[in-house]
Amino acid sequence: MTDWTKQKQERARRLEAAAPFVSGKVVEPGNVTALLKSVICSEDRVCLEGDNQKQADFLAECLTQVDPADVHDLHIVQSGLVLSEHLDLFRLGIARKLDFSYSGPQSAAIARALDQGKIELGAIHTYIELFARYFVDLTPNVSLIAAVSADRNGNLYTGPNTEDTPTIVEATAYKNGIVIAQVNKIVDEVPRTDIPGDQVDFVVEAPRPFYVEPLFTRDPGAVTETQILMAMIALKGIYAEYRPRRLNHGIGFATAAIELLLPTYGEQLGLRGEVATHWALNPHPTLIPAIESGWVQQIHCFGSEVGMDRYMSARPDVYFIGHDGTLRSNRLLCQNAGLYACDMFIGSTLQIDLAGNSSTVTPDRIAGFGGAPNMGSDAHGRRHISDAWLKAGREAAGSDGPLVRGRKLVVQMVETFGEGMKPAFVEELDSIALARKLGMPLAPVMIFGDDVTHIVTEEGIANLLLCRDADEVEQAIRGVAGYTPVGLARDRAKVEELRARGVIRRPEDLGIDLLQADRNLLAARSVRDLVTWSDGLYAPPSKFRNW
Amino acid sequence: MIPKNVMSEPSWYESSARARIEGLLDSGSFEEILPPQSRVMSPHLALFDLPPAFDDGMIVGRGQIDGCPVAVAAQEGQFMGGTFAEVSGAKLVGLLRGVAHSAGTRQGVGAVLLLLDTGGVRLQEANAGEMAVSETIRAIIDVRRAGVPVIALIGGRAGAFGGGGLVTACCSHVVISEQGRISVSGPEVIETNKGVEEFDSRDRALVWRVTGGRSRVLLGGADSYVKGDVGSFRKAAAQARNSTPSFSLETLEREQERLTERLKLYGSCHDTPEIWRIAGLPEPEGIADMTEDDFMSLLAKEGLHHDAR
Repeated sequence: MTDWTKQKQERARRLEAAAPFVSGKVVEPGNVTALLKSVICSEDRVCLEGDNQKQADFLAECLTQVDPADVHDLHIVQSGLVLSEHLDLFRLGIARKLDFSYSGPQSAAIARALDQGKIELGAIHTYIELFARYFVDLTPNVSLIAAVSADRNGNLYTGPNTEDTPTIVEATAYKNGIVIAQVNKIVDEVPRTDIPGDQVDFVVEAPRPFYVEPLFTRDPGAVTETQILMAMIALKGIYAEYRPRRLNHGIGFATAAIELLLPTYGEQLGLRGEVATHWALNPHPTLIPAIESGWVQQIHCFGSEVGMDRYMSARPDVYFIGHDGTLRSNRLLCQNAGLYACDMFIGSTLQIDLAGNSSTVTPDRIAGFGGAPNMGSDAHGRRHISDAWLKAGREAAGSDGPLVRGRKLVVQMVETFGEGMKPAFVEELDSIALARKLGMPLAPVMIFGDDVTHIVTEEGIANLLLCRDADEVEQAIRGVAGYTPVGLARDRAKVEELRARGVIRRPEDLGIDLLQADRNLLAARSVRDLVTWSDGLYAPPSKFRNW
Repeated sequence: MIPKNVMSEPSWYESSARARIEGLLDSGSFEEILPPQSRVMSPHLALFDLPPAFDDGMIVGRGQIDGCPVAVAAQEGQFMGGTFAEVSGAKLVGLLRGVAHSAGTRQGVGAVLLLLDTGGVRLQEANAGEMAVSETIRAIIDVRRAGVPVIALIGGRAGAFGGGGLVTACCSHVVISEQGRISVSGPEVIETNKGVEEFDSRDRALVWRVTGGRSRVLLGGADSYVKGDVGSFRKAAAQARNSTPSFSLETLEREQERLTERLKLYGSCHDTPEIWRIAGLPEPEGIADMTEDDFMSLLAKEGLHHDAR
């Protein structure tokens, strides 16, 4: 007879082993390491929540304290690997295998650990991709998650930074896994139930609130005139041309500049209400002036942002707000919205090659992908139409008709020379050298060239939709690459021909006055201005203050 | 919301030293002494492989405000942190000595405007810089004794630190904005010497609570508080020109008395909200977060508690 309930029995065995360390569902902080040792077995798949922003940092610290003789060779499956404790697990031999999406501050440490063979890398995923695999072949046996508060029955309030939690818990709880939550406070009644208690096995009140990194705050004071010029080029050459109403912005300064130009330059172009009305976007403080000026109808968020909670609670017509009055974010759903329901993604990158492939990998850093590949790719499953989508599709096909489907606008904005005067345009991406070094069959590419529709630099726009072969793509890219070696090697005659066809458009071709690219064009020139725009509701973290 | 008409007003904090002078003086009235064309540059920076500036980051000259002649010196805070050095110091001292010398003659000016934006002495030429600070202080005293007010305008990115803080304190009148900062030892210096427990330089809210414009004006370290646009600085400079106290022994004794009293009342405080609480200000924790309009009406209500400097 086949035993069909092995997972259920294993779960019961582990809960039994946990009994000495818990009281009902509640665990004392001092018992957490013992609890983890009793419910986690070697070679388990473990999710140590690990989001883009929110971190189950206390549980991570406790997990690093288990004896590697007892628990080893764990397979870590989580979107964000951003704490030093996450790397410690591999260094100590507690964990061995890794599947993840984003590493941010640990990007150099991950590259080192891979090089030293401390990590056996499964794959670097996009967010939706990793979440999809939670339900196919990377289902966690144990998930250690973070929430704002819990009641004694395990009902969780995850609050504005809900992020990945519902997805992690769904995959774990319904497959006989074990869910342990660290919370900032155990309360009698949670303000709203983000995760029902019957999906949560244990809760611990952590000695300090979970860590959240402010990732999306760009100080308007640091926006340069070059970025303002690029934003003007994008607004006039892309927003005004295609009129994308539904979109996602990357988190760099170039797109922050666009956000700050909407109420000024965008208004001059008559675009209010015509573009950028519906967003899949984190709570960018730089969007406050556009929201307050009536540009934005609706925003769904992947996560939250430090300091934005009170502002968003006071703007429930714009944001998704629970009946308790605070934001509810959800990374899986928002990524999905960005993939299927947006007409445009516009963001920055570090390197672009001659085919338009882009990457943020450098020889000694693996930052992972996060969400950009989902936002920045054409969804082949999309069937609903919009004017922007159809226009892009028809430009690519060179024709229209009932079988010509649309295209998502995928726009890359880069200054020709990036940080440290490194050229943004390269003959070969650094990620290829990295893949060679680590023996990866597929080099990490953020956005593949065949998904990119436009490249914007301070030299103008290259419209890749209008390019008819690989050579035209290459010359269009060289044509906006300015004084980088890639740009200097352009075929001048070919580039002028592309310009005549409107494949390359310079600022002067768009009728942009370079002298207007001035910081006085920004709707806010400082974080303090953003606070003023928000009627004092935005409370920026101290490091962004100059008052 | 920010009203459309103030959204794009040029801001003092953002502007270069030259743009500040242009916005401050009557249009076209500025005559620069030793302009960039004369290329009087630092003789020391090349030794450190550092690029010099044609004006050494110090712009001096004469111009007019509302038709009244003034002398102006502006530090470019974006060049070497707006530091006091050999050439920049000599330009400033020369300007001040010239003013003292010509006071009461037909070449005399009605005021000196110091647009300080500095981290203090330029470390690459520290001896010359330290001397420049003391010579500047001496020259300011001479100008004031000659009956010409010296007005400091503080609101740049670098603030007025080190010798710049001392120079500021010697002026007849100090105008400051919210972003402006005045102090002697800078936040990083305190942290390096006394530890992060004493002063966390990355806690920017703390930095501004201690050294920033609002705290300085409430404590009497500045005399006028303005919104951060160039126009407001111009207006305040024009007004201050006519309202500085006389530079007499009696004035200094009153100021000394006020400072002694201040030390007695607040000397044991560790952060400004403690001071505001003792001083009986409403919402002592919220001073930094008030809107500009609310803060200015609070200032108007409280009045400025010092009588002189």
